[in-house]
Amino acid sequence: METVIETRALSKVYRDFWGRQKVRALKALDLEIHKGEVFGLLGPNGSGKTTTIKLLLGLLFPTEGQALVFGKDATDVRVKERIGYLPEESYLYRFLNADETLDFYGRLFDIPASVRRERIDRLISLVKLDRARKRQLREYSKGMTRRIGLAQALINDPDLLLLDEPTSGLDPIGTREMKDMILDLKSQGKTIVMCSHLLADVQDVCDRIAILHQGELKELGRVDALLKVADVTQIQGRNLTTDCQNEIRQVIDRHHGQLLSMSNPTTTLEELFLSIVQDSEARPGRRVVAEDTSREPAGTS
Amino acid sequence: MVLEKELLPYSEWLSGLGWDSALFRFGATVLVFAVLALVVGFLVAMVRYGPLKAGDLTYRVVTNGFKELWQISPRRVMALAGLAVKESLRRRVLVALVIFGLILLFAGWFLRTDNPEPARLYLSFVLTATTYLTLLIALLLSAFSLPADFKNRTIYTIVTKPVRAGDIVLGRILGFTFVGTAMLAIMGVCSYIFVVRSLDHTHAVDLRSVENIPDESGEVIGRRGRTMIEADHFHEFEVEADGRGIAFSEYGHSHDVEQQGDRYAFASPQDFLRARVPLRGKLSFLDRQGSPVAHGVNVGNEWTYRSFIDGGSAAAATWTFDGIDESILKINPEDETQYLPVELIVRVFRTYKGEIERGILGSIQLRNPDTKVKSTVQTFLAKDVSIDEHRFERQQYNPADNQPIDLLEDLVTKDGRVEVIVQCLDSAQYYGFAQADCYIPLPDASPLWNFIKTYISIWVQMVLVITIGVTASTFLSGPIAMMFTVSFITLGFFRDFFVKVAEGTQVGGGPVESLVRLVTQRNLTTRFEPSPAVQLMEALDRVFKGAMQSIAAVLPDFRSLSTVNYVANGFEIPANAIGQQLTVCLAYLVGLSIIGYFFLRTREVAK
Repeated sequence: METVIETRALSKVYRDFWGRQKVRALKALDLEIHKGEVFGLLGPNGSGKTTTIKLLLGLLFPTEGQALVFGKDATDVRVKERIGYLPEESYLYRFLNADETLDFYGRLFDIPASVRRERIDRLISLVKLDRARKRQLREYSKGMTRRIGLAQALINDPDLLLLDEPTSGLDPIGTREMKDMILDLKSQGKTIVMCSHLLADVQDVCDRIAILHQGELKELGRVDALLKVADVTQIQGRNLTTDCQNEIRQVIDRHHGQLLSMSNPTTTLEELFLSIVQDSEARPGRRVVAEDTSREPAGTS
Repeated sequence: MVLEKELLPYSEWLSGLGWDSALFRFGATVLVFAVLALVVGFLVAMVRYGPLKAGDLTYRVVTNGFKELWQISPRRVMALAGLAVKESLRRRVLVALVIFGLILLFAGWFLRTDNPEPARLYLSFVLTATTYLTLLIALLLSAFSLPADFKNRTIYTIVTKPVRAGDIVLGRILGFTFVGTAMLAIMGVCSYIFVVRSLDHTHAVDLRSVENIPDESGEVIGRRGRTMIEADHFHEFEVEADGRGIAFSEYGHSHDVEQQGDRYAFASPQDFLRARVPLRGKLSFLDRQGSPVAHGVNVGNEWTYRSFIDGGSAAAATWTFDGIDESILKINPEDETQYLPVELIVRVFRTYKGEIERGILGSIQLRNPDTKVKSTVQTFLAKDVSIDEHRFERQQYNPADNQPIDLLEDLVTKDGRVEVIVQCLDSAQYYGFAQADCYIPLPDASPLWNFIKTYISIWVQMVLVITIGVTASTFLSGPIAMMFTVSFITLGFFRDFFVKVAEGTQVGGGPVESLVRLVTQRNLTTRFEPSPAVQLMEALDRVFKGAMQSIAAVLPDFRSLSTVNYVANGFEIPANAIGQQLTVCLAYLVGLSIIGYFFLRTREVAK
């Protein structure tokens, strides 16, 4: 398997003006990220996630160790041709509009005008900013800013994407779309490294994760393997009668197993929210209310 | 018109011999900087990472640097330049044009036309205002742009693209230069219109003064008279029988006059804006005994640029001119004879007052440098700092034998050289001369082109400020970068003084010594009693002076970049001067961009 990112004992010490050590942000991180995987960096605030990303981008220089991207040093300008970066907040020029922004970053990659034109059109419709493409970024909402940020990260059709908190500040629909886009990019064979502290998002899209705490690597592995609880078996069924349920309990008893719970599952809030919005889009104007007999059915048409 | 420093021919200036050659100085400066940067860079890295890694880092920075210098992409640079232009517009740079407009609007109130040379007043005001405004804008744009990118972290999205640090520096410089150029062009057009329109006026005739001009037979061949006062002056005028005439030069201009019946129509003023082209010679001196000396007499606290000759002695100032031929001679319209015009500016130094209204008597004559044949002596009365024209008719008489001689045949050598000898005849009075004080006027150049040339030199200053500002902002925060640039420019304006202090030729000593003199209230020339404290003071000064000398080596001579004086005084700006300025500008651009590149490349972008 081709290795895209490799860090060897990567360490970063932040110093003050006089060179005195302020904080040891990253301690001897060893990582290998392979081509085509979605890799998540997890950890609480201040755990070194963003530092790692900045080191991989050459925005910071390592105090010790090495960060290799595509086999070259991370500070080498040439590797940037193949990288897309979505910063934590979209640090874009607020006096440019979406078209100008993408055109500007396209030029920085030395992309010829015709290719640039075609890519800008494609990306703008991908991130659904068609109607806002001539508006200055200063007028954009948080979600729109995130989307134009993603578009600029994709302008060079990168092989490696570094996403710093890709879903922060997005509404549930935006979050879902971002996650779909990440999976879509993965299906195109791109390597994606993201850092986040929104665990659900990481769980949904990442193949492998690394958990950092206080600059140290605490856990590294495949998401499904890490989350699998080996000694618990889950059973879900539909249209089971009470008799059937009692029978299952008896079977478990007979085999000296311990029944942890048996109940009607609830859906997640995310799924509920999405289904309501989808419903509302399908039938505009109708107010959707759960069937709750204790309340008056209001506003039904 | 003052030429403080002799303008060397371009090729000699660029690649002559020794320390004064521009190319040599550039090379030496680059070398010193390169070595210094390597050493300092290595030491800093060594403190941080230890000697082995420091060596590796230094090697990589240098080799990558050389590689990346060739990888500068025009498309990326232009994209960044475009961004800089948009950023400038967003930062309301156009407000400067409004301010400029306001300055012009109110200038009309304060600039008076009662000055004997109103064109000089208007031109120097407008050009000075343009210069300072442009430099201020250049400073504000360049010093704050990159630091703002660091602060807003927009730089993150730039340096994570395959952008070379050189692209960023050059893009900024280029972008701000575009903005500045456009603004300079607008200011230039406005200034030109402002000057021409402000000076424009006509006159009415004072009819009581008009009288006929009769010829010998009593027939009327024209009329003459005086105009009414307009713009604080009046003209004498003459009209010929065909109704056309001229109002004679007054306050630096003349008018065409046309008689229409009893009325006289005066056209717009002429020759307000001139671009005199002087042919300059080489100056040499003879002392009282008539032997050659390097300089004349120093008459006291005078500028060494100009030195003096004694009156009533053999002392003389001699200019040798080159390239004199028939094309340089002018034709007298009255009798169609040819003459050689020589214009002379004299500084007069009196050791006794004498008759103050009367000028000091002097003589001027031509001489063939090879055969030593001389022309007729012309005498003149010189007043301090006035420009006098002396005409040498083509037909001359040899004062030795009174035989007729021809100016071109006998006084000018085969290769076109001639000497102009000036002496002061009043004893115990002095004439002061510098090389630029005597010249042969050639046909005027276009005043408009001259005006554009002075804008080119303002442009050069602007580009220098932008380059310094952008380079400073690669490693300093906005306000500090601005302070740095301002100090650099200020020192550049007073470079001569700075160099004098650094070399120890300035009375009053180095920085520490002058501070001590200031505090202890000693005057500049009092000697210090030797003591350990004085030794310490002098030692400190030696350190300071060394540092100042190295700074002086890279300081741009801002004062010599200004060509406002040429235009204001109505002289052509030599193409050579503009060529030298553009070369200096290019040298700073190249040198400082490389410095900026390394600063940006070795800097951690994130925090």
